[in-house]
Amino acid sequence: MTESNIKLIKIILLAFLLVWIVFTLFPLYFQLITSLKPVAEINAMVPTFWPETFRPGNYLGIFADPGSLKSLMDSLIVSISNTILSLLLGTLAGYALARYLKGIVGENLAFWILSNRMFPPVAVIIPMFFLFDATPWGTDSYVSLILLYLVFNLPLATWLMMVFFRDAPRELEEASYLDGYTPLKTFFKITLPLVFPGMISVAMLCWIFAWNEYLFANLLTGTTVKTFPVHIPSFTQGSQTLWNLVMAFSMVAMIPPVGMFIILRRYMVRGLSLGVVKG
Amino acid sequence: MVHLELNKICKGFDHPVIDRLSLKVDKGEFFVIVGPSGIGKTTLLRCIAGLEKLDEGEIFIEGDNVTNVPPYNRNVAMTFESYALYPHMTVFENIANPLKALKKEDSLIRSRVYEIAELLHIDGLLERKPHEISGGQKQRTALGRTLAAHPRVFLLDEPISHLDAKIRAELRTQFHTLEALREVSTVYVTHDYAEALSLGDRIGVMGNGGLVQIGTAHEIYEKPNSLFVAQHLGQPSINSLEIDLIEEAEKPSAIAGSLKLPVDLNHWEHLKRKNITKCTLGIRPQFVKVVNGDQSSEDNSLELNGMVEVYEALGAYGVMITSVVGQKLTVLTDPEDKYDHDENIIIRIDPSTFNYFDLNNGVNLIP
Amino acid sequence: MKEISKTDYPDWFLKKRTGKNLIVSPAIPWLMVGFPVLILIAIVIYPTIWMGYHAFQNTSMMSLFNNNFEYVGWSNFYNVMTSDRMHESIYRLIQYLLFGACLEVILGTILALILYEMIKNELLRIVLLILMVMPMMLPPSIVGVLWKFLLQAYNGAINHLLINLGFLDAMERIEWLGAEFALYSITIADVWQWTALPLLIVYSGRVSLPPAIYEAARVDGAPTWMVLKRITLPMLKEIIAIAFIIRFMDAYKFVDKIYVMTSGGPGQSTELPVFIAFQKGIREVEVGEAAAYAWIIFVFAALLITLFLKYLKNVLKAQAFA
Repeated sequence: MTESNIKLIKIILLAFLLVWIVFTLFPLYFQLITSLKPVAEINAMVPTFWPETFRPGNYLGIFADPGSLKSLMDSLIVSISNTILSLLLGTLAGYALARYLKGIVGENLAFWILSNRMFPPVAVIIPMFFLFDATPWGTDSYVSLILLYLVFNLPLATWLMMVFFRDAPRELEEASYLDGYTPLKTFFKITLPLVFPGMISVAMLCWIFAWNEYLFANLLTGTTVKTFPVHIPSFTQGSQTLWNLVMAFSMVAMIPPVGMFIILRRYMVRGLSLGVVKG
Repeated sequence: MVHLELNKICKGFDHPVIDRLSLKVDKGEFFVIVGPSGIGKTTLLRCIAGLEKLDEGEIFIEGDNVTNVPPYNRNVAMTFESYALYPHMTVFENIANPLKALKKEDSLIRSRVYEIAELLHIDGLLERKPHEISGGQKQRTALGRTLAAHPRVFLLDEPISHLDAKIRAELRTQFHTLEALREVSTVYVTHDYAEALSLGDRIGVMGNGGLVQIGTAHEIYEKPNSLFVAQHLGQPSINSLEIDLIEEAEKPSAIAGSLKLPVDLNHWEHLKRKNITKCTLGIRPQFVKVVNGDQSSEDNSLELNGMVEVYEALGAYGVMITSVVGQKLTVLTDPEDKYDHDENIIIRIDPSTFNYFDLNNGVNLIP
Repeated sequence: MKEISKTDYPDWFLKKRTGKNLIVSPAIPWLMVGFPVLILIAIVIYPTIWMGYHAFQNTSMMSLFNNNFEYVGWSNFYNVMTSDRMHESIYRLIQYLLFGACLEVILGTILALILYEMIKNELLRIVLLILMVMPMMLPPSIVGVLWKFLLQAYNGAINHLLINLGFLDAMERIEWLGAEFALYSITIADVWQWTALPLLIVYSGRVSLPPAIYEAARVDGAPTWMVLKRITLPMLKEIIAIAFIIRFMDAYKFVDKIYVMTSGGPGQSTELPVFIAFQKGIREVEVGEAAAYAWIIFVFAALLITLFLKYLKNVLKAQAFA
């Protein structure tokens, strides 16, 4: 490997990285400018790569429909509720699996819980549709989504919390017992603070999934409850899709997850690497 | 007054670890448990603490049967080999934790924590977190935490083994002088015999699932009741030779290969009575001396020619392995002398210092 | 220390010892796990049983509401396994997994390593990481919509970009969502969005590797490519495999993009097995067949993944000794 060869390879690799970044950013860029264009410009034969006319008013326009704001609220309600539920149950189960149920039973149980993630949504939705239909609150309700998203989030939360609890040194809990604290008090005073960063990563991962989910929401809900992915197709005029509004709305919906990632990225990296590396 | 009593306790995991172990510790007594790594010393402490449930047997503290009492109600304190300090709490909060558990008032907590911190010379560190202090300071914090709430029994698991020699010496002094220890019974675990020697009122040698010998440091050293005890206590390790015992013209001798050693008549009495023909002979290196030219020989001692194989100068003393008629013996020497490889020397041993152990079970044959 | 042989075990040891703990009563862990497990059972096992049951019936829209379906044995399964539609969708699934999931893992790994090894400026690295991970934060459905928009044959930005760059003539258009290319278009959208996940995972893994080995390699004077080949990649093998499993597990069951971009069309050219199951189940309400589909898909995937995990465990055990 000669010097110049190495330099060449380095340049190629960096170029590759650069190309990928451009590839990644281009659609986002186009989404942004589309959200700032007027409808006419979008439907023109030749798309423009820089808006001829700027219409930031689009962003207000999306809220002309009261459904838009409601859909964002609905998404918020569903995603936050589900995250809290997943985290709560996952923490309990994860702790029990990490500390107490160690034998064959525990291991198999943990594996089964994780394997639920492999369950195809289609297999869940058909029966659950009929099931929820039979309940007083019906399919088109917050409850149905909050519960159904558990299929994906609960195994994830349980598994990750189990890994995090396994990492927390047992001796600290034992020292706490000897100090005089019951297991319950120890759990809150000592154990939870130790796994707190882990809990944040779990919460983030669960929340992003619940926030972005489309299929279940589309099939089960639509009127009483309408999460934002379901609301997007409504930006039409007759048979024409109002792409500028669609893009503007999408950008607005992107802010929470992207914002969270930027602020809490350390936790997400940690959560993924620990859950993956040790799990 | 018996403060802590263990009555035939048994504990096993995938194999038995503690087998019908019994022990009585008095109030104010400092009991040290020595033994090789992995023998179960930590398990024993954990049983006393309540972190492990006994398979059989009972534990009494101050007369109360605590066998089924969970650790948070036993009023026992333990230091962990890894210190187990709470990383998200300051040194102050770590030490205060047991007091908080008892729901004492803040003012009381504060005064008690300051008292302990001063005692252990960590009063300047109270606002720091565990990751900001050194090993020795962590150790003292852990110690402070165990002292804080006046436990009835004090369990220390190799508390100073990870520290450097100077701090170890300092902390050892503190163990001697701590008033608090007079009110409790202390069980201290270590694998360092010298430490046990300096700290313990009584020592228990752990082996084979139980306490193989209990006694003062001196007793155990002079009169180990088994080869196991003899081998584990004492640095460097005792010389052990397999010997045949014969009697020639009323003179008993121990034969190991081509080496013939006289047997002390007092010892021979016991050996003959038990019809022992083969056993293991134990000679402590401390009792094998190198003769320097013009020292007159004493009555009972024997002089032998030896050739130096290995010599290590270790500051306060020297350790030499010498070969005597084919048998290797470890000898303790004065630090000032130097010996070369293959040098010829004369060593002197005194048969009255010999120990005889059963060939099979290692029991000391001389009561 | 002589080990006590099994025959010398004392009586108390051989007696059955309770595993009881002093610290918590044994009921508590079961309660803690029980509640979540019950919920999972409700949400997962119930559908499993339901689908299992109906897979053997000839349930369809009418019969469901009138509750008159009848047992048809394995005929649903038989129909599914022998249908051309299914065979073609499987073929497409393999293509999709190869050019989608596999490619994503490979690309993600390469990019992660390039990012870590070649960008030394901390701030720049973080900014680039955030940029590259953004696609993952979007709802898959919106990504589908976005790409559908970009890939429009006549007004789409992609085609015009290609024209501007000279790859296409002024009047030429690529029918990205036409029968020929639709599957690839969906795959492109998928790669665009999900390469970020293996990238993030491998990057996190690389970050958590112990620096001591690298310092030793530097002291030994090992060249960069050798460090990469002999040190980094072996240590990351396990993480890359897990990234692959995670991506695979998600790829075969999420059909958001198909739903949004092509609805399986044109014709049936972008149908993947799970999508067919959806169509059968929701649109055509051929519940029996849909259940059979779902079961077949699930069993196959579970088998593959379990096999892969077992293989992984053995590879890891071997590595542990290496």
